[in-house]
Order: sequence, then C-alpha cells, then structure tokens
Amino acid sequence: MTVITGKHLPRRTFLRGVGAAIGLPLLDAMRPAFAGPALPKAPVRLAFTYIPNGVTFKDWKPATTGADYEFTRILKPLEPFRKDILVLSGLDHHNANALGDGGGDHARAGACFLTGVHPKKTAGADIQAGVSVDQIAAKGLGNATRVASLELGCEDSRTVGGCDSGYSCAYTNSISWRGPQTPMPPETNPRIVFERLFGDDDFSASPEARARRAAQKKSILDLVNSRTQKLAGELGAADRRKIDEYLTAVRELEMRIDRAEKDQNGFRPDIEKPAGVPVAFADYIKLMFDLQVLAFQADATRVTTLLYGREASVRTYPEIGVPDPHHPLSHHRDLPENVEKITQINTHHTSLFAYFLEKLRSTPDGDGSLLDHSMIVYGSAICDGNKHSHENLPLLLAGRGDGSIQSGRHIQYPEGTPMTNLFLTLLDRMKIPSEKLGDSTGRLEHLTDL
Amino acid sequence: MEPRASQCAPALAALAVFAGVAGSAPTDQAVTGQFEKSVRPLLQRSCYGCHNSKVKSGDLDLVAFKTVDSLGGDLEAWEKVATKLADGTMPPKGVPRPPQAEVEATSNWIRGEIKRIELTSKPDPGRVTARRLNRAEYNNTIRDLTGLDLRPAEDFPQDDSGYGFDNIGDVLSLSPVLLEKYMKAAETVVKTALSGAGEVKPMAIRAQPPGREFELFPQARSDYDTSGLSMPNALHAMMRFPAEGEYVFKAALEGRRPTGSEPVYVGIWVDGKQVSTLTIDAKTDGASIDLFGAQAETRLRLPAGEHWIAATVLRIYEGLPSDYGGPNPTRRPVPPPRDPMRRVKIPEGATPEEIEKIRKEAIRRAQLFRVPANRVWVHWVEALGPYDSKIEPPIESRKRILTCGHVDGKHVTSCDRTVLSQFARRAFRRTVTAAELRPYLELAASARRDGAGYEEALGVALQAILVSPDFLFRIEKTGVGSAKGPQPVNSFALASRLSYFLWSTMPDDELLRVAEQGGLRKAPVLQAQVKRMLRDPKALSMVENFAGQWLELRRLESVSPDREKFEFDEYLRMSMRKETELFFANLMREDRSILELLNGRYSFLNQKMAEFYGVKGVTGPEFRRVEFDATVPRSGVLTQASVMTVSSYATRTSPVLRGKWILENLLNEPIPPPPPNVPLLEEATIGAAASLRKQMEQHRTNPACASCHAKMDPIGFGFENFNAIGQWRDKDGKFEIDPSGTLPDGRNFKGPEDLKALLMGDKDRFTEAMTDKMLTYALGRGLERYDRRTIREIAGRVAANEYRFSSLVMEIVKSLPFQMTREDHASEEGKTKI
Repeated sequence: MTVITGKHLPRRTFLRGVGAAIGLPLLDAMRPAFAGPALPKAPVRLAFTYIPNGVTFKDWKPATTGADYEFTRILKPLEPFRKDILVLSGLDHHNANALGDGGGDHARAGACFLTGVHPKKTAGADIQAGVSVDQIAAKGLGNATRVASLELGCEDSRTVGGCDSGYSCAYTNSISWRGPQTPMPPETNPRIVFERLFGDDDFSASPEARARRAAQKKSILDLVNSRTQKLAGELGAADRRKIDEYLTAVRELEMRIDRAEKDQNGFRPDIEKPAGVPVAFADYIKLMFDLQVLAFQADATRVTTLLYGREASVRTYPEIGVPDPHHPLSHHRDLPENVEKITQINTHHTSLFAYFLEKLRSTPDGDGSLLDHSMIVYGSAICDGNKHSHENLPLLLAGRGDGSIQSGRHIQYPEGTPMTNLFLTLLDRMKIPSEKLGDSTGRLEHLTDL
Repeated sequence: MEPRASQCAPALAALAVFAGVAGSAPTDQAVTGQFEKSVRPLLQRSCYGCHNSKVKSGDLDLVAFKTVDSLGGDLEAWEKVATKLADGTMPPKGVPRPPQAEVEATSNWIRGEIKRIELTSKPDPGRVTARRLNRAEYNNTIRDLTGLDLRPAEDFPQDDSGYGFDNIGDVLSLSPVLLEKYMKAAETVVKTALSGAGEVKPMAIRAQPPGREFELFPQARSDYDTSGLSMPNALHAMMRFPAEGEYVFKAALEGRRPTGSEPVYVGIWVDGKQVSTLTIDAKTDGASIDLFGAQAETRLRLPAGEHWIAATVLRIYEGLPSDYGGPNPTRRPVPPPRDPMRRVKIPEGATPEEIEKIRKEAIRRAQLFRVPANRVWVHWVEALGPYDSKIEPPIESRKRILTCGHVDGKHVTSCDRTVLSQFARRAFRRTVTAAELRPYLELAASARRDGAGYEEALGVALQAILVSPDFLFRIEKTGVGSAKGPQPVNSFALASRLSYFLWSTMPDDELLRVAEQGGLRKAPVLQAQVKRMLRDPKALSMVENFAGQWLELRRLESVSPDREKFEFDEYLRMSMRKETELFFANLMREDRSILELLNGRYSFLNQKMAEFYGVKGVTGPEFRRVEFDATVPRSGVLTQASVMTVSSYATRTSPVLRGKWILENLLNEPIPPPPPNVPLLEEATIGAAASLRKQMEQHRTNPACASCHAKMDPIGFGFENFNAIGQWRDKDGKFEIDPSGTLPDGRNFKGPEDLKALLMGDKDRFTEAMTDKMLTYALGRGLERYDRRTIREIAGRVAANEYRFSSLVMEIVKSLPFQMTREDHASEEGKTKI
C-alpha cells in the first residue's frame, strides 16, 4: 500500500469536520505522511451470529480435538477457513434452563445468549434480562465510530405480547440488550441499514457520472440560493424567517456536497443501495453479511449482531429441499428423516456463514485482512432442538482478533464452563475488560495456547 | 379615534386604511350607567376577593378595570369572565353565588359590550406565513404536475403540526435533511417522468401482527362469519406494493386442529375481495395437528400502491371431527377418542361413588386438553415480488412535460423555453416572467455544455424548478405599490388557497386559467369554481386531511388498545377509521347538515363494525349505509368507535380525556394544561376499591383542579357506557356505570343520548367549533382574537343555510381572512391567541 499525501490529519479532527454526513473511510490523508509501512493499528471488530433451534449435534461436533480434527458434515463448508476458526465445545448457558420457570426454552435461549442472564418470565411489559456483551463493547468503545453497534435480523420482529410459553416476544426478537429492560430490536430491512451507514447517496453510478451529478446538484443549489436570496429581500419578517431557514438548509447542503467531493478518493461502498428485503433467504443473509463487511471496512461500527432467525423460527427452506417449517421440524423425535432435514438446514446455514468469512478474509484491512482483525461468534444457545438443552452449545469463534487468538483448533472445555467466560475473554481483546457478565466465573482459557 | 365602521359585513373595497389595535368606540351614558350600577358591584362582591392586583388568581386582576372603556384593553379576559360566569365555573364552590338573574345580566352585558367594541374596531384579515407544502400536498402536487402517483414524500420526515393541523405555515419547518430529500425526490420524479421507472427488483413484504388473545370455543358454532374476515383468527394489514406485477403470497398458520380434521382453507383477500384460497395441512403429532408454521403460497397479480390485504381462516368450524358438532364434518378417519381413564389409577377398595367421581374428573380433564374448535389463526403473510413488473412507458408524463413537439424524441434546443415556462407556470401556480425563467434556461444550457444530453440537461432545469422556493412554498406577497393595509390576496394566491383547502393539491388548468383572467374576484365565478371543486373526487382529500386531523382519526393508526382487555384487532382498527371517513365523505357528497355529525342516526358499517355495535343483518366486508333503530345507542361521529378510541387510554377510558376531547374539538373550548404538582390518579388503584367515578370525584375536591374538571369530567362520564374501544358496556369491572351528571351550568342529564341532546342545544357552539377548525385548516394559520368575529358571522350564515356542509365551505371561502391579507407586522407584539 502506498502513502501519497504530505499532510497528516488527525482522524478526530477530520471526523469533526465531516460531521455525520457520509461514511467515514480511513482516507489516505489520515495516514501519517511518509510513515512507510507503520500503518495505524487496525481496530478489533466483534460480531455475533445467531442460529435458531439448535443443531444436530452428532453432525456438528468434531470427533477429535486439537489442530487436525476432521470437519463434520455441518462444519464442512467452513473447511477452507480451518486456519481462521476455533470450534469451541463444552460451553454452557446454565441460565437458559428452566430453573423452576417451566416451559419457554426458546425465549430463554434468545435472551440468555449474549447476556448470560436468566430472563424474568413475563409476557407483559415488565421484561428483565441483562446487558449483552455486544452492548458492553459498544459502550466501552464510546464514540470511536459513527454507529455504536448494528443489530441485524432476518425475521420481522414487530410482534409484541407473548411468544413462547408465557415469555414476551422481546426475548426471542432481540439477542442484544442495552440495559436489562431495553432490548435492541434488530433491523431487518437492508435498505435502512445501508442508509444508516452511508446516507442517501447513489453509489451505483460510475465515478464520472457521480461527478457530473454532483456538479449538477451544485448548480441547482446555486440557482436556488440566488433565487432565495432575492426572494428574502421582498418579504416581511415572518415569511423571511421561513425563507431564511430554507436558505440555511441550501447552504448546509452545498457544504455537504463539497465535503463529499473531497472524499472522492476515499471509501465507497461497492454494492448498490438495497431496495428492500431480498426474496431468497440466501440473498438476504448474504446482503446482511455484505453490510457488516462494509460497516467494518468503512469503520462505521465495530460491533454487530445478526440473527439468522428468531428462536423458534418457522422459516421453510424449499430451496434446499426442506419445505417444512424449521421449529416443528427441530422437534424431530429422533426420526432419521427429520434429523436429516435439520442437518441440511444447519449445513445450509454454515455454508452461508462461509460467504461472510470469505468476504472478510478477502478485504484488506490495515496490516492484514478484516478477518484477521475480527472476532466472530457463531452459534446457538440451544444444543439440540429436540431436547431444548442449553449445555454443550454449538459454537464457533472465527477471526484472529488481531493476533490475540490462535485459531485452527477444536477445543473441548470441562463440563460446566459458562459461555459468559468466553465473552469476558473477548472483551479483554477489545480492551474493555469486564469483571462479571451473567454467570461468568472467570476468563476462558486456551484461546492462545496449544 | 377612528371613524365608526359600517355594521354590516366588511365590504372588501372599503378597507383602504388599517389599524392594528382594536380601538374603542365612544361610550354612551346608558352603557356606563349599567357598568357602574350593576356590573361592577357584582364583580366587587363575587370576584375581587381573588382577582385583585395582589392575589391575581388565574393571572387576572379585575380590579384594574375601573371604567367601561378599559374593557377594550383586554377583550380576551372579559370574554373568559363572561363564559365562566355563564357556565357556572365561577365563582367557585365556597364563594356565595349571586342570583342567577344577576349573573346572566352581567355576562350578557359583557358579551354585548365585547361585540360592540369588536364591531367598531377595524377588521383584520390576518397574515398567513409562507407555507411549505406538507407531505400530502407534496405528493398530490407531484401527481398532478406529472401525472405519476409516485408519492416521494413517504420518505420525508414527519411534518410538524400546530393548532391541530399539519399545514400551518408558522409551524412547518425545513431542515437540511428535508432539503436533501427534496433534491433526491426531484431527481427521481424527473427521471421517472421523462424516462420511465426503472425495473423494480423483487422484494419481500411481510405482515405479522402482534400476538393476540381471543376466546376459545370447545365446540363448533353454527352461526358465524364463514368468510373469517371479521373473526379474530384472520390477519389484516395495509401493504404497500412498489409496482404492478406478480407477487407470490405466502401465509403461515399458528395453532392446532384436532387429529383427523380436514386441511385449513385460508382465503386471501385484496381490498375486500377474495382472490385466492390456500390449502394448508400438517401432520398430527399424535395428540393433535400442529399447524405452527404450516404454510402455503399462491401467485397473484397486483396493482401498485397500498392495499388492504387479509388472510382469513375460511369456514373455520367445518372439516372438524363430528363430535365437535360443526357443519360438514371431516371425511377423514378420526382416531377413536382415547380412554380418559387410561392413565388413571383407581385406588383399591374405592366405592362405586368414588370411582364415578374419579371417572368424571378424568373426563373433565380430557375435555380440558381437547383442542378447541377455533384454535387456529394466521401467523403471518408475506408477499414476494414484483416478478415481471409491468413497466409503463412514460407516455402520459412526457406529454404533460414536453409540451414542445419532442415527445417522440425529436429534440430541439429552442424548445427549452416553452417546456420550462409551461412547467414552471404550473409548478409555481402562477405566471412566470421571462426574467424569472432565465436562470433555468441557463442552467439547462450549461448542463448541456458540460456534456449532458438534451433531455438530461432539460431535466436538470426541471429539477431546479422542483426545489425552488417558488414551488416548495406558497408565498403571498403583499405591499405591491403603495398598499400597506388589508388587501385582496392576488388571484393566483387565491386559486392556490382554494385548491390546497379543498383538494390538498395545486390548482388544475381550469382554476389557473380563471385566476389568470382575473375571474376569481367575481362572486358567481368563485361560487361556481367552489361547487365544481367540491364535486371533484379530489375533494375527498378533506376527509383524510381535514376530518382525519380534526377528529384525530389519523391517530387510530398508532393507538394500541390493550389486547388482553379488549377485543381489538387490525381489522377493527381499519374498519373504525373507514366508518368515520365514509360518514364524513357522505356528508360532504350529499351536502348534508353538519349537525348530523352530532345526531345522524345512521352510519356506514361492514359486518365487523355491525357485530361490534350489535347491529344485526349486515354481512360481508363491504361498508353500506345502515339506519339505526331505537336499540342502537349511537348517533353522529361522537359515539363512533373511532372517536371513543382516540379519546381513551390504551388500558381504560378516561372521562377527563373524553371530556377534554369533546370540549376542544366539538365545543371550541380549549382546556388549559393541569397546574404543576398535581398528583395523578394511581393507575394501579383504578377500579380496585372504588369506581373510577368515585376516585375522580375525590380528585376534584382539590380546588386547583375543580374549575376545569367540573367541565370535563361530567361530559366524559356521560359517555362511560362506551369502553376504551367504543364498545357498549353496562359495567366497568365490578361497578355499575352511572352515566348521569350535571353540567357546570346546572343542567342535568341521564346518559349519553341525553347529554348529546343538551350539547345539540348548543348548535351555535358546535357550528362555531367546526368553523374554527375548518378555518384554521383553510388558512394554514392559528386563529387570533380578531378572527372571532369572522367565525361568528360564518356560523350564523351556515345556520341560516340549514347547516349545509357546502355553506360552511362557501362562507369560509368568502370570508375576510380567506379573501384578504395584509402586510406582515414587523413586531409580533400585541397578538393574543384565542
């Protein structure tokens, strides 16, 4: 990578100047002039991807531990990333268990996954869970990025009221919780996510067309500006207040366009603005992954969560030959035909996750790739959908956390290790040390050793 | 002192000179005499105790008004004095009340004096601040300019509203974000109008209503809505389709059916017509058929825009096992019922009686776990598409815009002038001078020089027109030449006032032409135009934009009544709103008396609303006019479910809210906000130990609250028989409802209809209230003290015209503030709000 500019702009100064107008790339201008290869340290990104209804565990867990484990059916699509992932076995979410509250394992799984807290059983407004690990990270990062965190989902979550055996739908809708009573509802519309990250601009046109359009916009605003000034002179006080307000808006917009122009050599999302929710699930998930990659690439946010579906999702997968709704199917009663279909869904899901990893790995970032600087947890807070068990959770950790994770292994943890210990360990790597999270008992070992 | 003005309605031509402050007329002896002899002594006895310069209760010092002439200084205060005396709010409890005859004489004297002073002051038409088009107006104007119903404003931020409406010039603001949206919209509109819409990619649109509670029936029923539309098992949603084309509709179920039942048939309905039937089946898990997530799909062709989509369970009580007792039972094999005793252990040595008891209990429990007959509902509906969306070539919009012979692509640069001047004339809603046009022509020319093609360059100029303040704002310039005072608004501004009032859009070609020829100043021409405009379907925008805001129907979209307490669902929400809209639209179309808004013994109902109201004999989703017989305790809009719902809380009725709603919206009596530090009713205790009414009465013993609550509460309690979603009830929880009451002026009523009759007695007040609201909406400004007279005059003429809707519109159009304007006062001082 070459460094061309002669002037070094501190990033914060630059951010102040730009305001909230556009995506904030790491511009060449912000790199230290003539600093050679000593690039600024790339930030560590944290992402969580949730799959609902558990997995067929025998087709998930590798038979051996260590570096040379054999990929199982479900994990097979991730084999190209052997060196980039850790398979973590033996972690539990004890607080997702009934603990005397009866049915509702799906709701508890959703609410517990990132909080480690046993949610209060209620279908009303008095919901209570805990602060989730992603939100602790987002808060700890403060205003480092324009968007503190992204919460994404692929199933509409407008549902309110009860969802699972007397539990509020809030527990299954959101895995991300800003406070014990404040779930962060995931955004399901890719268009809105894109606009939140990059504004209203049309990035699909060629650079020449975009430049011409910018020039036209400016001359339109020029015309409107002079017309408005002339008009203001002809009006009384109250009318002029309105027109002045308009004039201020015109000038503000002119400045924004100027600034955007200066960023021409900077970051530009390489996808078109999405029109809405794609029809095919695979396209939908991939688009959500694309948006996360873009957000990381532009350093618009460093923390994301994504739900493939809510707990107890009833999505059907006719495209892979499974026309049955997922949740009822997950209660497979050990019928081989049903178990096989669940394995197919699980494998479909990991193959889509492979798309995300591939994109992260092929996107340069600082001294390596985005994947090198990320930590992505993939999995569920239910092990086997038929049993609703919350022990031995199916979990993966992808990415190297900027060299702080020694990936490429399958690790077996002792019985009863809380999953929340993993979260504390991840937060350490985000430089946001935390003492306690849910039922945590300490740090998770072995992420760096052999 | 100003010369005394004519007592008749202000002649428009006579208003050459203008005085901003109300002058007072010479006072004659008789008036002064009465003030000294009876008015002041009464005030002294009953009012001075609190309303003096020291205590200044309610910020009012009556002692300061020593002479008759001093009244003119604060008419506002005196109007209040007269009203509070007359309606009995003042003097408050605890202060001895003077004899009724004296009170009446005093309040009448004050009112007479106010009227006299008003008549002698100079009429003031007020000034309407430059109004930005609001979202509805923007959408409609773009539609009429281009012939394309693109609705770009749906992406705009919410408009600010004031005085109850979102078209108030002073209140509507314009942020950089909005301007950015305007720029984007202009680009899209021009591109679509000249080159057609781009291909619309298929997308998923999903509707998944909140979880719902409804009564479960163990047995099938015979008399029910087989279409399922009005049943709680259905899903109703407004869905917006980006383009005409084929959509795949998917519906998924939730719930269970007894083992052996036939498949569930789901009807798909678009705008009240059934267009498809889906067959949804699932396997039994032994105990019953689990339908959670079971789904089916179909392909449908749909037009663009927003449509009411429903997915209903058809013939829900058919196809069940025969022991459910429903019509057309299943023809599938039904497994024999399991022996209820199969898991029951009979203790050794049990007597036959004990065994029988155990057996009965086992049967009861088995019944309890049997799947109820109606435990199935539509979980979600998804529309995927459009596939093969129909892309219309932009013939119509090109014709409208390219008015200079190159619709089919024969481009002539010299056409710029014709095209742009005609487009600007319509967009700016007035003639455009050559000098004004020049910058736009230059813009097109310079874009062409920079490499843009012919149409692209023309498009740049068209976009500039669409973000020009002349398009986005309605600005009424004054002070042309030497005229400084009240002056007629110019013809073009008048045409726009008319079209945005009656149509929420720009003037059409005819109106613009008449304005151009100066014809709108002639009374017969103006009247003919108003009549024509009221007949035009575009006048229905008044239903959505005027009635929708006046009666707060728009709020129905966001209310969320507690579904555990009330049988509320999306279909009811839509039906409620539709009922009131149709009622109002019918009143407009048939030019009926506006009093029917209070007492019309009819309404427009579909089966859902009819069942909700307990009206028999209405089946199907179509709304139709229904006359109410004596058994229906409803009339007008006031007791319609829509109004009763928006004037309630989500969990319960609020007599205070309702009373306030009625006073403010129908009787023109705004209620000030409660004083600070007043304890609120403890929500948790409501209806627990005492009835709401008892608790409110206690609340009212606080004198700080009493004077307003004495007005609001009785009116609200009069309608307590209607619950928080407008359903009739005789009891509130365990307490019998007592809908009787006493108005502050001492008049008694027994219940809602009785109370309504009392309110009806105040025809003038209602007419003035509606005039006030409609004038606010028509002008786009908050009303001022000086508009009172106009309101009274309009209301008087409407009464003389049998209260016809059209006479209200016509009188507003003919009124001083609508016809005239004046210079903007540099200082806003001295203005008092009504």
